[in-house]
Amino acid sequence: MNVELLTLSEVEEFSGNEGNFSVRIKKNPRYVDMDKCIACGLCMQKCPRKVDDEFNMGVGKRKAAYIKYGQSVPLKYAIDAEHCIYLTRGKCRACEKFCPTGAINFEDREKHLSIDVGAVILAPGFHPFDPSGFDFYGYGRITDVVTSLEYERMLSASGPCMGHLIRPSDHTEPKKIAWLQCVGSRSTNRCKNGYCSSVCCMYAIKQAVVTAEHLNEGIPQQTIFFMDIRSHGKDFERYYETAAAKGIRFVRARPHTILAGKNNMGVTMQYTAEDGRMHCEDFDLAVLSIGLEAPEDGPVLAAKFGIELNSYGFAQTTDFEPVRSTRPGIFVTGAFQAPKDIPQAVTEASTAACEAARALMPARGALTHEKTYPAEQDVTSQEPVIGVFVCSCGINIASVVDVDAVAQYARTLPHVGFVENNLFTCSADTQSLIAEKIREHHLNRVVIAACTPRTHEPLFQDTLREAGLNGFLVEMANIRNHNAWVHQALPEAATQKAKDQVRMAVARVAQNDPLRQLKVDVVQKALVIGGGVAGMNAALALADQGFDCVLLEKSDRLGGNARRLAATDRGQKVAPMLTRLIERTESHARIKVLKKAVLRSAVGSVGNFVSKIEVDGDTRAVTYGTAVVATGAAEYQPREYLYGQDERIMTHLQFDDQLAQNEAAVGRARSSVFIQCVGSREPQRPYCSRLCCTHSVKNALRLKTLNPEMNVYILYRDIRTYGEREDLYKSARDLGVIFIRYGLDSQPVVSRKGDDLFVEVFDPVAQLPLKLYADYLVLAAAVVPHDHQALVELFKCGVNADGFLNEAHPKLRPVDMSVDGLFVAGLCHYPKPMDESIAQARAAASRAGLILAKEEMQLDAIKSYVTENCDGCALCVDVCPYRAIKLEQEKIDGRSHIVTDPALCKGCGLCAATCPKEGVYVHGFTLPQLKAQVEALLAEATA
Amino acid sequence: MKQTAVLLGREHRSTFRDHVMALLPAGGNLNACLTCGACASGCPATGLKDMDPRKFLRMAALGLDDQVTTTPWVWMCSMCQRCIYVCPMKIDIPQLVYYARQSWPREKRPKGILGSCDMALRSDTCSAMGTSEEDFQFVVEDVLDEYRETQPEFAHMQAPINKSGAYFFLNQNSREPVTEPDEMVPLWKILHLAGADWTYATKGWAAENYCMFMADDENWKHIVEIKKKAVEDLGCKVWLNTE
Repeated sequence: MNVELLTLSEVEEFSGNEGNFSVRIKKNPRYVDMDKCIACGLCMQKCPRKVDDEFNMGVGKRKAAYIKYGQSVPLKYAIDAEHCIYLTRGKCRACEKFCPTGAINFEDREKHLSIDVGAVILAPGFHPFDPSGFDFYGYGRITDVVTSLEYERMLSASGPCMGHLIRPSDHTEPKKIAWLQCVGSRSTNRCKNGYCSSVCCMYAIKQAVVTAEHLNEGIPQQTIFFMDIRSHGKDFERYYETAAAKGIRFVRARPHTILAGKNNMGVTMQYTAEDGRMHCEDFDLAVLSIGLEAPEDGPVLAAKFGIELNSYGFAQTTDFEPVRSTRPGIFVTGAFQAPKDIPQAVTEASTAACEAARALMPARGALTHEKTYPAEQDVTSQEPVIGVFVCSCGINIASVVDVDAVAQYARTLPHVGFVENNLFTCSADTQSLIAEKIREHHLNRVVIAACTPRTHEPLFQDTLREAGLNGFLVEMANIRNHNAWVHQALPEAATQKAKDQVRMAVARVAQNDPLRQLKVDVVQKALVIGGGVAGMNAALALADQGFDCVLLEKSDRLGGNARRLAATDRGQKVAPMLTRLIERTESHARIKVLKKAVLRSAVGSVGNFVSKIEVDGDTRAVTYGTAVVATGAAEYQPREYLYGQDERIMTHLQFDDQLAQNEAAVGRARSSVFIQCVGSREPQRPYCSRLCCTHSVKNALRLKTLNPEMNVYILYRDIRTYGEREDLYKSARDLGVIFIRYGLDSQPVVSRKGDDLFVEVFDPVAQLPLKLYADYLVLAAAVVPHDHQALVELFKCGVNADGFLNEAHPKLRPVDMSVDGLFVAGLCHYPKPMDESIAQARAAASRAGLILAKEEMQLDAIKSYVTENCDGCALCVDVCPYRAIKLEQEKIDGRSHIVTDPALCKGCGLCAATCPKEGVYVHGFTLPQLKAQVEALLAEATA
Repeated sequence: MKQTAVLLGREHRSTFRDHVMALLPAGGNLNACLTCGACASGCPATGLKDMDPRKFLRMAALGLDDQVTTTPWVWMCSMCQRCIYVCPMKIDIPQLVYYARQSWPREKRPKGILGSCDMALRSDTCSAMGTSEEDFQFVVEDVLDEYRETQPEFAHMQAPINKSGAYFFLNQNSREPVTEPDEMVPLWKILHLAGADWTYATKGWAAENYCMFMADDENWKHIVEIKKKAVEDLGCKVWLNTE
């Protein structure tokens, strides 16, 4: 309601300053009235014009009347004016004839509108690399060479092959498939994309894994040809390891040329393995793992908004201000800022929202709308009077199910007071009609026999509320997805099944009680745990939005790990930034900093937590509505490579200290050796620490700048300088840093002879054992999580197998924790460089701000509650995964009993299923409701 | 058999690579290698003498100059440039190979190439086969007569020699007139049918330049200059070299 979608629109003009911009927008005609369109799809069915389907990468066709894909938002059809027969040649109008709601409007014209805004977020996404220019891969010429995006559509159940994988040449199932990585990435020869696209390794592994699920027969043979596997995301390394264990073949090689197979079916290619041996192999299909490019119209957009782009065409930002463009008030997010994966893009979307909220703080809430409803009538003392609305869904349901017969049957059911058949029960005019019928026939329960509650229940709940009924007095019978769509060949049986479904829904809804959504008062204050860069950024972002914050730091000063860092990945100096950050945090009127502070307890739930905090020996209570956890991480203390036995051997943070204190001495070294993955990507700690490759590369560059004659060696397993960090790797090579790969089975050996320190390693390309002098040996030690056990105990939150704090969902809710009201940021979530920590901290502040902006919060109504049958056996207390149930000490009438906390309860129903005596129910899913439904089903079946 | 480890790190070892990088624009990108192996995957000489382009470049990068400047593999490279064509970093491996050839003592370079270069230097024909001006002229005229007689549709075909002011100056690989004279004819036919105004010459007619393959810069240049003079002496507009 507070988001207005302007589709088919483009910005024509832009002017003004932060806080007061003016945007002129051109809205192109859709030729479909969005208010009338019910997305039934008839226009598409009847449209005679077929067009290459760009969403399916041209694999397959769509119509000129179309939706881009099934999950489009808004779910409204459009007419493609470039291809529509009527709009191009003046004849046809088939869609108009068949549209049941009169939504087609060929008189629709381009509109222009001007709006005033205070901040702008640019998220135009990326452009997939087009490999047509690489003649050596034969894309466009060899039929069985496809891009990864085409392959993605080929695999998709909703794609052009309906999930039945077939190769383009002869429409047979490809068994042996090759992926070629870094096509259009990490290359400055045939394209100008020197950066790493960050996501291709993972999507290729995913595609290879998923391929097995799409083959009907035979054993798939998937091969991924790569330069470095970059599985640097949270839980990604484990996914890579699992894929390899499942038999997916990873080959460190780059084929030179793809040749067509016999009769242009399949492909053949030669590749040289790392040991120099040449192989020639045939594949049924080759997939080019294409990279991400800046959007094609990026420069036009940038010029319009007056922002700068970097040399690759991505929006220019800095490490300390990761979503701020070069113009105040304009923020950028997603792949337009740099190539990134979904978790990062979703996180940074919240970061951008945070920045916009900060910029618009004085005006917050000024333009928001809230919907109002008439007073709700009390139906608890009334006998049920049920209205049943049977939907035809155009022909979707009616062509299979005899909807008249179903409606007729519904009239015979107990308590049913009104039945009607609608062409489209979900259309806007039907909503007013339903409301009218509720009032006219004094209905107090409603059954909608139509489609799925997943998409439509909120709509009908809203209709009931508008008619003065509680929204929970509606039930849906899904006679479309669960019936008409799957029983097309059996119309009679389908009609019978629809009757059964309606009977069950009627029986159940008669038992429905009005439900209340609990409201809790929100303490408009946040607790931030951890005073590092992430914690301070979260606190400041909240405070700048006008919320009070308590920042808790366990040590006696703020700054965390950043105190030891010299510069960010883009070379920005950390110390001056940190000084300013600490100053701002400590002087901000809305932030209270508690040092030498430890969290001792936490009770309550979202909106209202209370904690005891011990500050330098004294304990005090703090109440808060939400908390951001940013407790950081530590550097692994190596036990390998003679660490601790020689002062020339140090971890990379120690080496940073050394460089800070004795730069001149370090510069005099003749040889420095870095060993990567020390304590990472090993069986006992199987994750990638993400930041060490870039860190070592940066230090190697610094050494080469100090002393170009110094021999600098980096011993690595895969170089993971993802995104634009790849430029640093390239610079290091250009300056002569030597990168030597080792495997887990051929780890370097460190030894001393006299005063000399040596590292022995086998060079797999030269096929020679090397022995390197080392004046300095730097160990790129892993980032290890702190012990989170106390925190997990206090907040009932979770950690992953590696001990990092878990988010609720990596893609959908990447900064929320599974406990409502808790958010996570920085190294405690997963190793990450500073720009990502800052982005995540501000994203967490944005999410926390959503809670703090309200004085009271409405909770879901589907919650557990105690009945009079409870005798306090406490079986449910143990099974509740959210710790929402407690055994009350005080007895009622001599009996023990439990209490449930609706704020913590997620309505999963484990308690109700466990309770042997109906002592606990879940609203909306009570035993009487479920029983009524089942009995209704069985009653007729046995009759 | 355990190999002895190569000891690195004390001094700056790679003098050969530095030398080549100094000669090439942007250093030939020689340092930028990702060791991806695309070059090796497409090289016709991969595996010969236990070498391939990636390994060769790698050894240069590690400063193993002894091996790099002595491996006979460099003479197996055909200079086809398939490596640099696909290299993500556009690394000029062919030039590295070229300079490695140059680091060989002249007399140690492969006999066939050396002999051919020296032979070409002996006369103004530039023929690596040592074919004289007269022999070349005789063979051309003899073959032309035969074809004009036996193939009436080409009765008016020409193969001019030393035709002053012709538009095209055509070179001829000297293997054909000596061992496969008939192989010269298809091109004559094409030029005839196209109505091209062309000529051979008795001086500087040989197309090949083995001195280039031998990385003998001075004599490579000498041969080119002789041919250039022959073109200019006849006043031709375009010099066609079929090699």
